Amino acid sequence: MTINRREFIKANAIAAAAAVAGVSVPAIASNLITSSDITKLKWDKAACRFCGTGCSVNVGVMDGKVVATHGDIKSPVNKGLSCVKGYFLSKIMYGKDRLTSPLLRMTNGKYDKEGEFTPISWDQAFDVMAEKAKDALKKDGPKAVGMFGSGQWTVQEGYAAVKLYKAGFRSNNIDPNARHCMASAVGGFMRTFGIDEPMGCYDDLEYADAFVLWGSNMAEMHPILWTRLTDRRLSAPHVKVAVLSTFEHRSFDLADNGMVFTPQTDLAILNYIAHYIIKTGRVNKDFVNKHTNFRLGETDIGYGLRPEHELEQKAKNNGKTKGSSTPISFDEYAKFVSTYTVEYTAKLSGVPEHKLEALAELYADPKIKVTSFWTMGFNQHTRGVWANNLCYNIHLLTGKISEPGNSPFSLTGQPSACGTAREVGTFSHRLPADMVVKNPKHRAIAEKIWDLPEGTIPAKPGYHAVLQNRMLKDGKLNFYWVQCNNNMQAAANINEEVYPGYRNPKNFIVVSDPYPTVTAQAADLILPTAMWVEKEGMYGNAERRTQSWYQMVEAPKGATSDMWQVVEFSKRFKIEDVWPEELIAKKPEVRGKTLFDVLYKDSSVGKFSLDEIPEDRLNHESRDFGFYIQKGLFEEYASFGRGHAHDLAPYDRYHQERGLRWPVVNGKETKWRFKEGSDPYCKPGSGWDFYGKKDGRAIIFALPYEPAAESPDEEYDLWLSTGRVLEHWHSGSMTQRVPELYKAMPDALVYMHPDDAKSRGMRRGDLVKLISRRGEVQTRVETRGRNKPPVGLVFMPWFDASRLVNKVTLDATDPLSKETDYKKCAIKIVKV
Amino acid sequence: MKNLNLASIAGLMVLVLAPVFMSFNANSADKSEINTVATLRDHTEIDVQKEPNRIPKVINKDIKQTRNYPMQPPIIPHTTRSYEVNKNNNKCMSCHSRQRTEESQAPMVSVTHYMNRDGNFLAEISPRRYFCNQCHVTQLDAKPLVENTFIDMHSLMKQKTTSAKEH
Amino acid sequence: MKNLLMIGWRTLTKPSGYYSLGALVIGGFIAGIIFWGGFNTALEVTNTEEFCISCHEMENNVYEEMKTTIHFSNRSGVRATCPDCHVPHKWTDKIARKMQASKEVWGMLFGTINTREKFLVHRKRLAQNEWERLKANDSLECRNCHNFDYMDFTEQSERAAYQHSTALAAGEKTCIDCHKGIAHQLPDMKGVEGW
Repeated sequence: MTINRREFIKANAIAAAAAVAGVSVPAIASNLITSSDITKLKWDKAACRFCGTGCSVNVGVMDGKVVATHGDIKSPVNKGLSCVKGYFLSKIMYGKDRLTSPLLRMTNGKYDKEGEFTPISWDQAFDVMAEKAKDALKKDGPKAVGMFGSGQWTVQEGYAAVKLYKAGFRSNNIDPNARHCMASAVGGFMRTFGIDEPMGCYDDLEYADAFVLWGSNMAEMHPILWTRLTDRRLSAPHVKVAVLSTFEHRSFDLADNGMVFTPQTDLAILNYIAHYIIKTGRVNKDFVNKHTNFRLGETDIGYGLRPEHELEQKAKNNGKTKGSSTPISFDEYAKFVSTYTVEYTAKLSGVPEHKLEALAELYADPKIKVTSFWTMGFNQHTRGVWANNLCYNIHLLTGKISEPGNSPFSLTGQPSACGTAREVGTFSHRLPADMVVKNPKHRAIAEKIWDLPEGTIPAKPGYHAVLQNRMLKDGKLNFYWVQCNNNMQAAANINEEVYPGYRNPKNFIVVSDPYPTVTAQAADLILPTAMWVEKEGMYGNAERRTQSWYQMVEAPKGATSDMWQVVEFSKRFKIEDVWPEELIAKKPEVRGKTLFDVLYKDSSVGKFSLDEIPEDRLNHESRDFGFYIQKGLFEEYASFGRGHAHDLAPYDRYHQERGLRWPVVNGKETKWRFKEGSDPYCKPGSGWDFYGKKDGRAIIFALPYEPAAESPDEEYDLWLSTGRVLEHWHSGSMTQRVPELYKAMPDALVYMHPDDAKSRGMRRGDLVKLISRRGEVQTRVETRGRNKPPVGLVFMPWFDASRLVNKVTLDATDPLSKETDYKKCAIKIVKV
Repeated sequence: MKNLNLASIAGLMVLVLAPVFMSFNANSADKSEINTVATLRDHTEIDVQKEPNRIPKVINKDIKQTRNYPMQPPIIPHTTRSYEVNKNNNKCMSCHSRQRTEESQAPMVSVTHYMNRDGNFLAEISPRRYFCNQCHVTQLDAKPLVENTFIDMHSLMKQKTTSAKEH
Repeated sequence: MKNLLMIGWRTLTKPSGYYSLGALVIGGFIAGIIFWGGFNTALEVTNTEEFCISCHEMENNVYEEMKTTIHFSNRSGVRATCPDCHVPHKWTDKIARKMQASKEVWGMLFGTINTREKFLVHRKRLAQNEWERLKANDSLECRNCHNFDYMDFTEQSERAAYQHSTALAAGEKTCIDCHKGIAHQLPDMKGVEGW
């Protein structure tokens, strides 16, 4: 036989080695560098930059460059593992097109909305920004300025921005992209429990006997949690996995009971399970009597579209009462869900009866510890808050909650959707520690901590994410700053509701990003931004774990962190520029000061000296401002939650730990909340204490199935679902620049059933157009990819900047959470 | 010393000329170059779309690719179409498991794959590593849209040893 | 009536007086063709994919799974249909296989695998039947299309060329040894050689 490839390579290697050996080299082998001075890497811990799992990674630095990353073996989250994205973290900062200079649209040396991007200095950039912001404030007051932030902001960045907007500019028009991601989860928590974020933790993964995935493709979107779930399922054979989705995906590979249901009918399935539990006499009566109340929620609440839309005109209760409810008895609730029989539900959902029964039994059987996971399937849903509520119902009816393995678990998408967006309260209606601007007591608490006069924070919630785009289009929001997200790619209905607003001549749009994204392309001013370990920061993951990291490398020259940009920008405003005279009169000592002085330097943010920063640590921002600003921002923010069931540890401790799960009381983290013995906030003798509600009782809601905002019809005959993929993080602005990840998944294809392709005369690879009532996008057909949609539904991911699927999607939102439904709209597909 | 002078002259030249080049670039940018910021869109305006390229093929050459760092999971150098990795089977392991490598001559999965969460070795692949495709991916024959300037540690070390020799 | 039958019987038993031997032979031949052709046509109808997937057991399980595989859609559009792989081409083998298939009819009538779950319970046994058959006949149905003598190893991937030029060439292995699950999903492969 001839020499095979392996033998060939081996032979070559020996020859090469011999050739090298021929050259005289001293002492050590020439092809190995062994001197520890040269081979030494500086290792440090950081939170992974990507998803809400919150893995800890070790980052290896050599000569000021990140050269390696791997999963941190000391982290309880991932114990040494990373997913493919995490393993390639080292390369995300090194795309050749990193931005290094502010770029302003100019013509003949002057700002011009229709001009060309021209490099300018940071001073010039802040000059024009300040001018535009002041113009807007002068013309229309605080409601004319706004900011779109991120669940990928560090805790400190989010907090600095909230303070600048809510206290400095006195505008609540600040919202994070987390609005697109888990606002419905927040709504669900607040409505059922009165306090945000999961009661359980990832330890549930090692205790549960059954897992149910509701609209969550964990195998791709939370890969490391999936490794833990797989570990549990395969090492304990009695464990069962049920997976529900509107199409078959990778998580079905482990499913004992995989169910593909008609979009929107998850609401009916959830009610059917409640009915099954009641019908089979498995309600945990003791638990239900002691710890729950029943309420009937308002229905027919509309679809969060513009008020003139016909669906809104038709909806009876889309006004102020849409979130209201009235008390009912258990019997009334039982009657309410009794219409969701297995026959009715199977017919509606398309899931066979025996599969529904097997699913319901996992919840009903008191011996099975069951953990439910959900992500965007529930949250990006025009009835997303309801879906969350309905899932809590079945855990509450059975008392399967707040115990190891019994856990309704809302997974977040982004690395700090919990830490920054939710806990810091970067939403248009929120303040830190679950407080809201509407509540005068909450505003008073914030004003006290911020040492600002009463009445500083406006009482009316600002524009949420979707409304911001509508207001930009309508010319009512005129100064707009986008940080740490790519909304021109991520927001729904770009054609009609996003792009026009950015290019509206009345508006000035600033986009901060490390890379030239689609959003940057639509901006008027682009600010080059430092990313990840080019700055010190903190993230909070889906299990309430707060993690910190130090700055490890310098950002490219010219790029600065989001936090530095916000704080530095505040120097451009005198109090008199932004506050009315009567407010200043309440605290005359602020007169003549800048927002930088009032909000940061002279507040408790400024009280930590530079000496506290270890000498060998980079920290450009702090040394620039003259105080340890990351610590100051964190400690001031933490004072909101300490003593109020949101306790965080002292800042320095986070640098020692692989994160801690709040509330951290007496130095100890909390694994399961609301359970006596595990949660220090529970009243002694209570057993369970849902202390977010005044009477300590969680609410079981009677809420019906209601149809989707848009369903396929004769002309637009297919459902379109959008979503993410394993290899790319969100819009791909980082991962599409890593060659290995790009080549693993270069293009967003439309996944369709072979029969759907065939009936339209299409085949794999065909160039097609996805057309909705709002716009169109071209891509190519995939009939045998990793996602296997049923006939009648197609899936197209949104990571691909060159194929913007959001030109097609509908900006219908959950009227309660204002979160967009990216999973359901009607389209047709034609060959190009 | 002479070198130093040359270097400083060159440095000055750069300092003097840089703004000239910069403004030159800025002024000369025509309308089509506005979108040089749209690198991942191949400089296409947002309201239009360039025709999507064809679906690239999976690279199937079986040639190992250098890892960027030792702990990087190797990419898969062959097609995996219809390879099942699910509750029933793990097709990858029919070549890459310890027992199979003599016959298959495929690389054995790393020893870390036999470790459980606590770092103890198991007799079989740890179930936490069961789904190979969470870390290992095939590569399509597509040209990256943007160059990546990541430098691996060996290139950095080499730079250091060479510069050390010169001094 | 009785008379009529008797006349018929006599006609059949008595040597022909009216018809020439040649006409009789030709007539018999034609009748034979019609009868034989009818049988074979009927047999061939059961030998089409349309017939196979007329039961939902086949359509919803194995056929649905096949749609994404290379035997369904590929570069040159040469498609394998169910009988190409699952029914022997040689007549005697075909008849033998068809006799076996009567069991499948029972299965359909009694709903042995009328849900996906039931099908999956039986999947390993069903798959093993096919693997054993293909192992025994040296992957004959594979080889009906994939002729070893005409394989161009330079057009194959290196791994494939290596295996084909060694193990397959030497007769140590047959197609099905390595290509299980090439057209359908696999059952639990515990205990199967090579897994």
